[in-house]
Parts: sequence; structure tokens; C-alpha cells
Amino acid sequence: MDTVLSLATPPDSAFARILTTAAEALAQSRGLGPRESMRFQLAVEEFFTHLCQVTDADSGIRAEFTAKSHQVCVSFRFQASDLCLGALNASCACTLDGDGEASEDLGLILAGRVADRFRLIHEGGDSFMLYAEVDKAYPAAKAAPSAITFKHPYHAAPEQDPDRLMHAAAWAAARYPAWHCPASFQTPSKFADMVKAGQFSCVLAQDAASHPAGLLCWARSGEKGLSFSGPFVFAPQSDVPEVARILTDAFLASVAREKVEIVFSERATLDTPAGYFEALGSLTRYAPEGESDQPVLYRHLREDLGETVWADPALEEFLRAVYDRLAMCRDVLPAHPPGSLERKRSLFSTTMDKEKSLAVLRPLLDGQDMAANLAGHVRVLTEKGFLNLMLYMDLSHSWEAALAGRIMAAGFKPRLVLPFAGRSDVAVFQYAPNC
Amino acid sequence: MRQYGVDRLYRLNNNENALGPPPAAREVLAAFPPERGAVYPSGDCFTLRQALGEKFSKDHERFLVGNGSCEVITSVIKAFCQPGDNIVTADKTFAVYEWVAAFSGIEPRLAPLRDYALDPEAMLAAMNDKTKIIFLCNPNNPTGTWWSKATLERFLRAVDGRAVVVLDEAYIEFVDSPDFPDGMEVMERHPNVLVFRTFSKMYGLAALRVGYVCGGFEAVDFVKRTHLVYSVNSLGQLAAKAALEDDGEHIAATRRMVAQAGEFLRSTFDSLGLEHVSGAGNFIMARVPVPDTLLYRLLIRQGVMIRTMTGFRFPNWIRVTLALEPAMEAFAKALRQTLDKR
Ligand SMILES: Cc1ncc(COP(=O)(O)O)c(C=O)c1O
Repeated sequence: MDTVLSLATPPDSAFARILTTAAEALAQSRGLGPRESMRFQLAVEEFFTHLCQVTDADSGIRAEFTAKSHQVCVSFRFQASDLCLGALNASCACTLDGDGEASEDLGLILAGRVADRFRLIHEGGDSFMLYAEVDKAYPAAKAAPSAITFKHPYHAAPEQDPDRLMHAAAWAAARYPAWHCPASFQTPSKFADMVKAGQFSCVLAQDAASHPAGLLCWARSGEKGLSFSGPFVFAPQSDVPEVARILTDAFLASVAREKVEIVFSERATLDTPAGYFEALGSLTRYAPEGESDQPVLYRHLREDLGETVWADPALEEFLRAVYDRLAMCRDVLPAHPPGSLERKRSLFSTTMDKEKSLAVLRPLLDGQDMAANLAGHVRVLTEKGFLNLMLYMDLSHSWEAALAGRIMAAGFKPRLVLPFAGRSDVAVFQYAPNC
Repeated sequence: MRQYGVDRLYRLNNNENALGPPPAAREVLAAFPPERGAVYPSGDCFTLRQALGEKFSKDHERFLVGNGSCEVITSVIKAFCQPGDNIVTADKTFAVYEWVAAFSGIEPRLAPLRDYALDPEAMLAAMNDKTKIIFLCNPNNPTGTWWSKATLERFLRAVDGRAVVVLDEAYIEFVDSPDFPDGMEVMERHPNVLVFRTFSKMYGLAALRVGYVCGGFEAVDFVKRTHLVYSVNSLGQLAAKAALEDDGEHIAATRRMVAQAGEFLRSTFDSLGLEHVSGAGNFIMARVPVPDTLLYRLLIRQGVMIRTMTGFRFPNWIRVTLALEPAMEAFAKALRQTLDKR
């Protein structure tokens, strides 16, 4: 069970101690190590202190802490009439001016770096929610499980047993390149905890003697989508198609009646059976040894009832071609870039997965410095060695859709559209290094 | 329709009756005085229940009418289940039993089909001492299979009154076989049986939302206590009563249409080399060589709406309502063209 703790405070940093005490207690309750606990406390303290400065004086800050088996999270709800969180950008570099004054809000930079992930949700008007999480640290996988002899027949069913899941995740990580696997497969006990926390659901294939023979797992993406990984098959090559098919059938049967529209995968394995999914396009996978194509697959779970999306003039033609190819009904409304912007600094969230050399940007706020900020992100992430830079744009927000032209000018190419993967469809851009 | 870029749309997705309601019901609909719109309906559908009682030779207190049989499903689950209880149904059947149970915090226990039919052994095996209701869709939507009198009787003896058995007979009026068990008769020997019927299918009144449950006095009274009154509108009550009293020729004509359409589509699927399944009911299923949800999008652009079957746990199958010739031909043509292109 998650532990949830809520606190409403005035925007006064004198209350920071209460929040960090709560953060520490929650981290301890889930057995986080001292480093992670400290990072969580720091994130809470620095975010809160910063929000005290920017929150409208007559409104309060509502903090909610959640402790799950694999992570602790905090969300702050607040009102700010002129919110600017530029220092949270991964591109932000701090310099000291002549007087030794920092050019940036160091506290905010720190908060963004010590949290594993953060998100900002604009709830309308001046209302925002800032959300940050810190993961528990887990040991890496032990040696890959040793090979066994499998016996027919195979069957597949939903699985929750942590030991079996850890075993299967370790096996998948050993058999398949990291690109295909959820990051938590590298630390199987984290994966099992995430299943327990409901972040992932799984179907496991077993042979006649109940040995794990394959795994397929999925997580929510937005309100209407499920993103899946797999099928991962551990059975001998001759049985791979059969096990992959029963995993896919079991997956579709178990999600058939969920309240979601689609399932998709940006990392489906080559063992995915034919005829079950449609190709949305592909992403290029850059690796030190060269580049290759990763097809992106999807299928609707029910009738597509149409949707309304926003499109920047620069993206409209691309979108119309995509929807036409997919025979998908969409009202495409024009989203024009704003003539002038009040906010000086734009904001992106960045999630990084080192195993995949992958960094994913999501726009959180528009701002005057958009072009420079995008260039800064590309520079910093490239310097850090990330070869795959993606940008996800939710086409249900007109301000976000209107960024397309500027994003493309920064060297990002529209690659494909994930239907219903966000609040509505999500356009996926990939940075193309040499063109 | 504008969104799909077509100016006519054949709706073959909901098993509606292409012939519409029977003549007497049409007259009632046309004659409804607009002023009556200001007057609340009968809260408990008294007159309609009397007509039902007469039709089936039962006391009208043994009927409870709802806003479609879907509302009655909710009421029955509410009446008989508490947190910790479960219901048993098939994995590949009408979805509402499972959905309502899951949303109400009641565990749906699902028994796999065998040869496209509900499997009595699997359903018995899925029962435990927390099972309060078993939902049997007879004939089964979407496979069209049905249990014979003997199969149902054996099953009910094995259940032995341990749980309520709901026979959802939404498509019973399409069946023309002496071996089909009539729930109205079965319930007289098995007091734990409840029967659901609807005016949405054969009677062509889906827009008006009228369905009902019939069973023993005590069971129906129990369900009534969880059921909203005034949930069925006046026009629906009037039209349903009229439809019931004028169904002879209507049922015969509908069965003729369904038989003819079935024959046509079976040969269409055969000629395309597509596996198909059909039985009782105004629908047919076929396995298609592309994701069903993609085929839906491609067909709708040609003015034909079908039902995708992924949600019924039949990925890459579609279900098509058996309707009038122009619709069947439009579907066959669109399907051929679409599959030819791929
Ligand atoms: C088996 C079955 N039961 C019940 C219903 C729902 O009927 P109603 O319109 O009365 O809610 C349907 C409609 O598709 C059905 O197929």
C-alpha cells in the first residue's frame, strides 16, 4: 500500500523543516538508502523554498507525499501569476558574474538534478502542479539464469509473483539488447517492486514444468494508452514464435476490457508476431557501433472514434499525411505560434536512460528563449554522450503544438504520431545529428 | 459522418434490427402527443409489466423493467453481491457483466469458451463459495452458440441453487429451434434463475432503452430494492408494449432477413478465404488478416461501420450485424476492396 501524506502550508520557507522531516520519514519507511533519502529531502526543500518565492502571496502551497515500494514522490500545488522555472532545464549552466553572484537560482538547479524525474502540470489559469520523484537504489542483476530444458505445452497468464518476475526480467535483460528492455530490467528487484506498485503489469509464459519461458509487460502512458515491452522469449529458438504469440494473446486478453484506447511500443522485440500490430513508423537507434531502425508498433483496442488535435503550420502537412495513411479521423485545428511571449524562459523536462543512450524531452512551458534553450539541451545532452534525443509533444495543448516549427528549426525531425499516448495524440520528434 | 468523409453510413456494429420496430410500435411513436413530454412516466412501468405478464402468463410483479437490460445488469449485481463476492461468466461474451462487476469492486471470474461456446464444466470450475451470480448469455454474443435444453438443465442441477443464474436472452427471438431452452419456462423449475430480455434487438427500439428481468417473486422484489424508479421513459414504455403485442409478422420478417443476410455473408467470407463463426442471433463473426481496429477505420471511410472484437478478446475478428441487402452488399464490396489492396 502507498503511504500518502498531505500538508497545506503558507508560502513561507519557515515551514521547509516540516516538509523535509516528512520526506525523511517517508524515505525511511520504504527503506531508501541514505543517499536517496538525502536527495529526496533536498529536492523537497529546494523546490519548496523556491515556490515560496514565486507563489502568489495570498495563496497557499499544498504538498502531497507518496511513498511507493520503489520510490518516493512529492507534488506541490500552487498558484503563480508569472511562473518561470528556467533553472530546472537540463541545459541550464550556472556561471558566476564578476561579483561572485550566481547567474541562476542554484537551489532550483539543485532540486532539478537531485530528483530522478520531475514534471510540471499547468492546471489552468495561474494553477500549477510540480511533481518530483526519487527512486530507491537497487542492486544490479546477478548472473543471468542458467539455461534449462523446456517442456511443451506452454501457457501464459498474468503474473505478480516477485520471484518469478525477477527471474524473468533478469533473463530478458541477458537475452535482449537494453534498447528493448524497460530500464528496471537491469535491477530486477526494482522491476518486481514496480509491478507491486502497479507501475507495470505483466503476463508470463511458462512451460509444462512452470519454468518462466517468456515475459511481456506494460505500463500506462497518458489516460488512454498502454506502452508495452516485449515479447521477451527465453525458450529455444524453435519455440519462440509460439511463445511470443501466446504472450501477445494473453496480453491483449488481459487489457481487452480496460478503459484504454490503444497499446503501443517503441521498443517491441523482433519476436513480435505478425498481424497483431500496425506500424506507426520507425525511430533511428544511434549506437556507438552504428545506427539501425526500430519500428514503432501499435494497435487500437476498440473503435477509433476520432479526436481533435492542434497543429502548427510547420507540422500540419506531416500530420495530415500520417492520419491519412493510418485512416484515422482527426479534426486538425491550427495552432499558431504566439506573436510575443511574456515568459522569458521556456522549460523542458528531460528523462535520461543511460543504458539506451536515450534522453527524452517534454515541453512544460513556452518562453522567449525557446530556440536557445533547445540548442542548449542538444549541446548539453550530446556532451553527456546521449546519442538518441527525442522530443514528445502532446497535440491536445495548442501552446505545445505551436512549438513544432521552432522544434524543427532546432534540428528535430517529426518521426511519427502515437495515437492517444498522451491526453490525445503525441507527436514524436527525433534529433537528427547530421542533417 | 462528415468526419469520415461519407454521406451514408451503414451501422453494422450494434446488432440493431434494420427493419426497425413493428408497425404497432411505429404508430405509437408517431402518435405520441408532444404535451405528454411534460408528464413523468409511470415510475414502475405498470402497464408494460402487465402486458409482459399477459404475454408470458406470469404475474406482473415478477417483472422489473429497466433503462435497457444494461441497467438491470447493474441492479442485479448490486442486489446480490457485496465486496468479497464474485460473479462467474465467460471470458468471451457480452462485456457488461464483467465491466459492471469490476467497477463495483466485485471479482469477475472468467471461464474460457470451448469451441466458441460457453463451457459448462469451466463455468462450474470457476465457481467458489463466494460466487453469487453466474451470467449465461444464451445465445452467446458474439459467437451465436447456445446451450440446449439438456445442457442447461444439467448445468442448473450441478449449480444446485448455490448461486443466482442469469440467462441473458437478448437474442432469443432470433432462435427458431425446439431444442432452445426458454428461460421463462426454465425459471418455474429453478427458482434461482433470472431471465433478461430486451427491446433493443428484435423489437427495434434500442434508442428508447427498454429491457427487463423476470424471475421468482422474492428474487425480483430483492432486485427492485436496488433499482432506480422512473428510469424508463414514457415513449419507451408505450412503444415496448405495442411492439410486444404486434410481434408475429415482425419476428418472421426479421428472421427471413437475418437468414438471407447470413447466407450471403457466409458465402462472401468463404470466397475470401476468411474463417467465420455464426449461429443464433443477427450477427456473424469473421477472422480478418489485419488488426480488426484497422479494418474498422478502413471500412468506415467507405460508409460501413462494423464492431471490432479485440474488446471481446477475439483480436483480429470482426462482428457484423445481419441486415438488409444494400447494407450487406456495401459491406461485402468494401471488405473485398480493402483486403485486395493489402
Ligand atoms: C447479450 C446482450 N445483452 C444485453 C444487451 C443490451 O441490451 P440493452 O440495449 O437492453 O441494454 C446486448 C446489446 O448488445 C446484448 O448483446
